[in-house]
Amino acid sequence: MQETENGSPTNELVLELRQITKSYPGVIALDGVNLAVYHNEIVGLVGENGAGKSTLMKILIGNVQPDQGSYRIRGQAVRLRDPAHAIRLGVGMVFQEGSLIPNLSIMENLFLCHETEFERFGVLSKRTMREAARTALTTVKVAEDLDTPVAETTPAVRQMVEIARLLWLSRLYHQKNPVLILDEPTTVLTQHERETLFAILHEITNQASIILISHRLQEIVENSDRIVVLKDGKNVTDFSSENASIPEIEHLMVGHTFSADRYRENEQIEPGQKVVIRVEKLSKKQKFEPISFTVGEGEILSLVGLVGSGKEALCRCLTGLEKPDNGSVTIGSKRVVAGLPSESVRSGIGHVPVDRRNDGLALGMTVADNLNLLVLDRLKTASLMSPTREKRNALDWIKECRIKTPSPATLCANLSGGNQQKVVIAKWLTSQVRFLVLDHPTRGVDVGAKEEIYRLIRKLASDGVGMVVMCDTLEEDIGLCSRMLIMKDGRLVREIACPPFQKPSPSEIIGSIV
Amino acid sequence: MRNEVTLNSRGQVPNGLASSFKALQQWLRASGISGQLLCLLLVTLVFTASTQGKFLSWANIQVILNLAAIPAIIAIGLHQVVALGGIDLSVEGVVALCVVMVGLLAHNQFNSNNVGIWIVPITLALGGIVGLVNGVLNTKLKIPSFISTLGMSWVLWGLAVFVSKGQTIPLVDNPLSGLINGSVLGIPNLALVALALLIAVQLVQDRTRFGRYLYAIGGDEVLSGQAGVKVDRTKIIVFTIAGMFYGLSALFLAVKLNSAQAITGNNLLFPAITAVAVGGVALTGGIGGAKNAALGALIVTALNDGLILVDVNPYAQEAVNGVVLVVAVALTIDRKKLGFIK
Repeated sequence: MQETENGSPTNELVLELRQITKSYPGVIALDGVNLAVYHNEIVGLVGENGAGKSTLMKILIGNVQPDQGSYRIRGQAVRLRDPAHAIRLGVGMVFQEGSLIPNLSIMENLFLCHETEFERFGVLSKRTMREAARTALTTVKVAEDLDTPVAETTPAVRQMVEIARLLWLSRLYHQKNPVLILDEPTTVLTQHERETLFAILHEITNQASIILISHRLQEIVENSDRIVVLKDGKNVTDFSSENASIPEIEHLMVGHTFSADRYRENEQIEPGQKVVIRVEKLSKKQKFEPISFTVGEGEILSLVGLVGSGKEALCRCLTGLEKPDNGSVTIGSKRVVAGLPSESVRSGIGHVPVDRRNDGLALGMTVADNLNLLVLDRLKTASLMSPTREKRNALDWIKECRIKTPSPATLCANLSGGNQQKVVIAKWLTSQVRFLVLDHPTRGVDVGAKEEIYRLIRKLASDGVGMVVMCDTLEEDIGLCSRMLIMKDGRLVREIACPPFQKPSPSEIIGSIV
Repeated sequence: MRNEVTLNSRGQVPNGLASSFKALQQWLRASGISGQLLCLLLVTLVFTASTQGKFLSWANIQVILNLAAIPAIIAIGLHQVVALGGIDLSVEGVVALCVVMVGLLAHNQFNSNNVGIWIVPITLALGGIVGLVNGVLNTKLKIPSFISTLGMSWVLWGLAVFVSKGQTIPLVDNPLSGLINGSVLGIPNLALVALALLIAVQLVQDRTRFGRYLYAIGGDEVLSGQAGVKVDRTKIIVFTIAGMFYGLSALFLAVKLNSAQAITGNNLLFPAITAVAVGGVALTGGIGGAKNAALGALIVTALNDGLILVDVNPYAQEAVNGVVLVVAVALTIDRKKLGFIK
């Protein structure tokens, strides 16, 4: 399957995954994926959100067990128990959020849990630890004081310490040519630090192989020897980066399959003339620059951009979870008080958060309680809550939104992800909200529930609710929205109209995003 | 070109005249007790000035050392649990039960028992067992240490009162009384014992794997577990050691008072927690060692001693202690680690 003459310095395999399949309830995360890593090379791994990159990484380091397929390290078939096992076999990962302990010093973090080396009669020898730490850190060019707590160092230094730790551990376990996995290493770095990182990575390839995951295709093309593209849990291709072009990779990432009926385009309505929400010169330092737009009645506005483009911060400002530095948000004719979620709700702004389990629902409460939460005033009889009316309201909305629940008294914690999301959306439907922010509304729900959620979104639109959505895939964004705003590095870079049956294709758009 | 690239978050240390001062500054910063030393200096200056030097007399220093020793020993035990990211509120119950046990097992006027010097390992073991149970409740049954140790304190207090029938048990010719009430070159032996314990615990914290794991857990329990730290085992051992420190304090208290009663345990928790917080041990875990705890105990004792010398109303003194605790926690707590302030 794998092409072996594709520019890797030696043709000796370190890692080989064959036909890896992993499914979660309702989703196939990986479907027959192959991945090979040769000695001394940098492999770039790209794919859209949800393409299966993170599942593949978890399988590589033993965090997740594949359902099917074989995993060989240096020719030996392995079944990894946990990340510690993977490290003993010379496979380690530098996580996006980091795995160093903040209050411990650089040196303490380097050797954590492997200090036996330095023990003399049960007492640790600081001198030998220092020497070993210096040697380990020269490889990654960190000149920091070894006793500095990690919390006081820059993300770049932390990353380097993690790399040094992985290299040191592989030497400790006598593993030649370890494989280092770097998950989006450059998102937190400055331009200068980015250059330093890649300079060091290229140097490290004389003793290790690297799997580089990044959304910045430019980086991948410039720095990797080979590029592997994943889409919808499948390998698309695997080629040498010498003859790779960014548009070609973009094209492979988004593919062609695009179905109009999935997103109920025939139900997409022409947005009304009336403006629901007016955002004027809203800005937040270091997150996004002044931005102005309006959302009309029944309009679905899609915000598109990479992580860090400022779209998350913008949405948090719209819903009052974060306070913008400047600018205003007006609903109807009333200006919304900034930075207070309760004020936003009172003005008619709803929010379907990405983490529905923690932010969107009271999981320990029943379906009925969650549905009625925002309309308690309407369910009173003589200023006391009326159980009959509460139950009737809940049953109406369960039926209306097709929430699959044994009864209104079932706890939300016991519903499936898709049905939980339906409860969250139904809650806003009941409250006659005028503007709704939908943050990844279909994340982690199965295909059937996705359809239902699309139906509810269309229903909200036909009721005249204005919406801002951020979707899991670009395809979903295009399919759902009536207009699209593309953000990049905190600025609005492009606006695209998406009328039904005249939608742009993902490959036309992705160039503005990355 | 590539070889010249290095990463450094802090500036270079300058050479020349300023370097020795910088070195001292760095040592103080790295030691983590600079603020506490300054605090102690401030307390000393204020009270020395307002008592015309009486505060700094040798007799008063002896009093302070003598009074600070037992809170310091308790704090050295307690702060280890705090450094883990937990809390141990069982101090008073453990001390009450251990004191009563000392009364019942050592030579006394209540019954005919006399275990002699064996009372030392017995109280250590009793305290240790309670600590072990605290640790197991916390790690295996996943009960927050705040609740499990609070409950434990009341259980043990009840047991102590029940066993002693609420009476005071006078001790007779205790073999330890000479040691505990004596002094070397004018320094109370109890203070020397506290110092020895401080050095031992600090050494374990700085120079052993166990110490490293203790702070790793305090810093981030989940990440430590992923790195391979045996989180549960380390926590149980720490709770056990803390319990042994309380047992030892109980023994010293009983011998010092030459009698045993359950209420000896009362009013020990608050000064200990204040000492831990004032010493700079973060209540969110991961920061501060035995030297911090002991220094905290010294500061709190010196402050109280000074307030008595300048004749402050005793009720006002208690209020001062409350303010000191809240201010100390406000200065040391790491709010980023707390999702919600409960």
